[in-house]
Amino acid sequence: MFGLNKIIPVEPNINFLGLRRKFLIFSILAMIISIVLLSIKGLNLGIDFKGGTLIEVSTKNTSIGELREILSSSYSDVSLQEFGNENIILIRLQNKSNQESIETINSVKNLIQDKVVEFRRSEFVGPTISSELLLRGFQAVSFALIAILIYIWLRFEWQFGFGAVVALTHDVLFTLGLLSILNVEFSLATIAAILTIAGYSINDTVVIFDRVRENLRKYKKLELVDLFNLSVNNTLSRTIMTSLTTLLALVSLFIFGGEVIRPFALTMIIGVIIGTYSSVFIAVPTLLIFKFRPQDEDD
Amino acid sequence: MKNYPIWKSFTVISLVLLGIIFAIPSIIYDENSENWFLKNKINLGLDLQGGSYLLLEVQLDVLYKEELDNFVDSVRLISRDQAVKIEKIDIQENEVVVFFGNKEKIKDIRDSFFQMYRGVTLQTNNNKLIIKLNDEYRKIIQDSAVKQSLEIVRKRIDESGTKEPLIQRSGKKRILLQLPGVKDPERIKDLLGKTAKLTFHIVDNENTSALQNNLAPFGKIIVPDMYDENTKYLLDKRAVVGGENLVDAKGSFDQTEGHAVSFRFDTEGAQKFGKVTTNNIGKNLAVVLDGVVITAPRISSAITGGSGIITGNFNAQEASDLAVLLRAGALPAPLEIVEERSVGAGLGADSIAAGQIAAIIGMVLVCIFMILIYGIFGALANVSLIVNLFIIISLLGTIGATLTLPGIAGIVLTIGMAVDANVLIFERIKEESLKQTKVFQIVKNGFDRAMSTILDANITTLIAAVLLFAFGSGPIRGFSITLSLGVIASMFTALMLTNFLVYMYLSFANKKELKL
Repeated sequence: MFGLNKIIPVEPNINFLGLRRKFLIFSILAMIISIVLLSIKGLNLGIDFKGGTLIEVSTKNTSIGELREILSSSYSDVSLQEFGNENIILIRLQNKSNQESIETINSVKNLIQDKVVEFRRSEFVGPTISSELLLRGFQAVSFALIAILIYIWLRFEWQFGFGAVVALTHDVLFTLGLLSILNVEFSLATIAAILTIAGYSINDTVVIFDRVRENLRKYKKLELVDLFNLSVNNTLSRTIMTSLTTLLALVSLFIFGGEVIRPFALTMIIGVIIGTYSSVFIAVPTLLIFKFRPQDEDD
Repeated sequence: MKNYPIWKSFTVISLVLLGIIFAIPSIIYDENSENWFLKNKINLGLDLQGGSYLLLEVQLDVLYKEELDNFVDSVRLISRDQAVKIEKIDIQENEVVVFFGNKEKIKDIRDSFFQMYRGVTLQTNNNKLIIKLNDEYRKIIQDSAVKQSLEIVRKRIDESGTKEPLIQRSGKKRILLQLPGVKDPERIKDLLGKTAKLTFHIVDNENTSALQNNLAPFGKIIVPDMYDENTKYLLDKRAVVGGENLVDAKGSFDQTEGHAVSFRFDTEGAQKFGKVTTNNIGKNLAVVLDGVVITAPRISSAITGGSGIITGNFNAQEASDLAVLLRAGALPAPLEIVEERSVGAGLGADSIAAGQIAAIIGMVLVCIFMILIYGIFGALANVSLIVNLFIIISLLGTIGATLTLPGIAGIVLTIGMAVDANVLIFERIKEESLKQTKVFQIVKNGFDRAMSTILDANITTLIAAVLLFAFGSGPIRGFSITLSLGVIASMFTALMLTNFLVYMYLSFANKKELKL
C-alpha cells in the first residue's frame, strides 16, 4: 500500500539497551528531583483535595481588578484568575469551616451580583470531604497498581510484573514531579488522568513484554541483552504509532476541549510521553536484573 | 472471498448496523421525545446540562446530645417519684453519670429507667448510676434520623418544584442530591439548611430574675428573639403543641399584619391548642422556630378552630418558603452541606460544544495520520474507528449511562487509543509479509498473532478503568465508563470489523502480493 510507514524500517536495529545506563541515571535523577519537589513544594491542590470555595463568573465590561477590589475588602484569602478569556473569571476562597463556606458562596454572589452576567459554576468542598476524596484517590491509584501487578504476574512470569511495577512507579512519580514544577492544578480529574496513564503505560509495556516472551521461546541461544533489543525493535513502530495517535487526540483535547478539561489533557500528554519512554528504557532493562530463561519449554 | 464464513460476515454487519442505529437517538437528541426508540438517548450529567449536586450530612451529634438530655430529664422525674435526692449529674460525651444521695433505691430507679429506654447500657456503682449511649443505640438513632431526614428532604425538594431530582442516602449519615436544571441553588440550600422545628410554648412573665441571671430553672428554657438577639424569653420547656400536628401551611397576606403564614392543626393539635389557649388567656404564647422566637402574641381569647397565622417581618418569598418547610415537616437534626457543585446552563453548553470540536478535530487528525502511514489499510482502520465511535454512543444511550465532561474526555482519548489494536495487527501483517507470500495466510497470521497482545494490553486499561469507577465519584465515573466502553468497542472493531474489511478489500482488489 502507499503508506509512509516505510520511514520506520521494518526491522530497525537500534541499540536501546546500550543506552540503558544513561537513561537509568536520568530517570533516577528525575525521580529524586520529583520526590524532593513533592515534599518541599508539593502539588497545587485544587478544592477537591484542599477544601474551599470556587466560583466561576462571566462578566461584561468589568475588569478582574474591579472584582478583586470589591471582594478583597471582605475576604483576605480570595484569589481571582482569568479563565480562558478575559470575560470569564475564576474566584477561589479558602475557608476554615463548612458552615462559613456554604454561606460564602451566597455572600460573594451578593457582593458582585450587579457586575456579573452569569454565575457559571460554584463549587464548595468541605474539609471532611476533601480529605476523604484524597484518601479515596490514593486508594484507587494503589489498588490499580496492585491489580495490574497481579494481572501481569498471572499472565507472565513474576519478573515481568516486577519490571512493570518499577516502570509504573516511575511514571507516576515523574508525572507528579512535572505537575509540581508546572504548577498544574491537582484535582479529581488528575487522579483519573494518572490512573489512565498507568493503564496506558502498562499497555505499552505489555506489548513489548509479550514480544520478549515470544522471543525467549524463539531464540533460545541469544544473549538476553540482544534479545531484549530485538524485542524493543520489533515493536518499535507500533510503540511510536500508538503514542502519536493518542497524543494527536490529546493535543486536540488540550487546545479545543475547553478550560475545565485542560489540566486533565496536559497531565495525560505528559504521562503518555513518560509512559512510552519508560516502557522502552525502564521496564525492559529492569528485566536484566533477573538471569531468567523461560522455565516452560513446552513449545 | 476466500474462506470467510458467511455467518461471520453476517454477525459483523449486523453488529455494526445495530451500533449505528442505536446511536441515532443520541445524535438527533430530542429532549422531549416520547418515542420509545428516540428515548434511548444519552443522559447528560449535571456538569453538561447544568444543575446542582449537594451532599448533606445529618448532624447526629446534636441528636446524641439531645438524647443524653432526655436521659437527664427522665432520671430526674423517676427519682422525684421515688423520693431520692440527686446530688450531682455529670453529662459527658457519651454517657450520663448520676450521683444519688443514697444507694437504697438505685436498683429501682435503674429498672424504671430501663423500662423507658431499652437498649441503653446501665451500670450501677455504689450511689452512682451510669447511663451509656452504646453503639447499637447510636446506630438506631442514626438510622431512623437519616431515614426521616431523607423523607423530609424529598418533600421539601418536591415542594420547591425541581424536576426529576435524585435523592438518596450516601454512606452512613449522608444524603446525596442531584438536581438537574436548578437555576437558583441558593434558595434550595436555604430550604435544606433549616431544621424547621416549630413549637408553641407558654411564656413565663413572672420569673424575671431567671432572665436577669440568664439561668433557666428546671422545666424552663431561655430562648432569644429571631430579630433581636438581646431580647430573651423564658418559656415552659414543654411545648404545648408542635409542627408535627400541622396538616397545612400556606403563605398569606393580611392588610394589617403584612405577609404571614397561615396554618391548620389536625384534630389532636386543635384540641391541645384549644385547651391551652382557653386555660391561659392573658398570657403570651411564643412561636419557636429552630431555637428562636418568631413572635409571642398575647392570648386574648381561646382559639378552638384549630387554625391560626404566624406573623413576623416576612417578605412574600420568606413566608411561602416557611410554609413549604412547615408542610414538609421538621428534620430530626440539622443538615450540614459538606459538598456542593453547581453548574449553570451556559457553562454546560460551552463544555458540550468544546468537547464536540475536540472530538471531531482529534478524529480528523488521527484519520489523516492513519492514511498517511498505512495507506488503504489506514483508511480501513478509519472506518473501524468511526464505527467504534457510533458503538460507544449507542452503548451509552442504551445502558442509560450518564455522559459527563470527563466522559467526553474519555471518548476523545479513546479515539487516539482505539487505533492501537489496528496498529498492532498491521505491524504483525507487515512482519508476516516478510516471511511468506500467500496474501491470505499473511493476513490470517497477522490477526492471530496480534490477538493475545491486544487482549493483554486492553485488559490492563480496563483494570484501571474499573478501579476508577469503584473509587471515583460523579463526573469521574463518567470518564471510566466511556473509557471502558471505548476499550471494549475497539477490541471488537479491530478484531472483527477491520478483519472483515481487510478480507473484503483483498478479495475484491484481487491482490496477489501484500506489502504494508
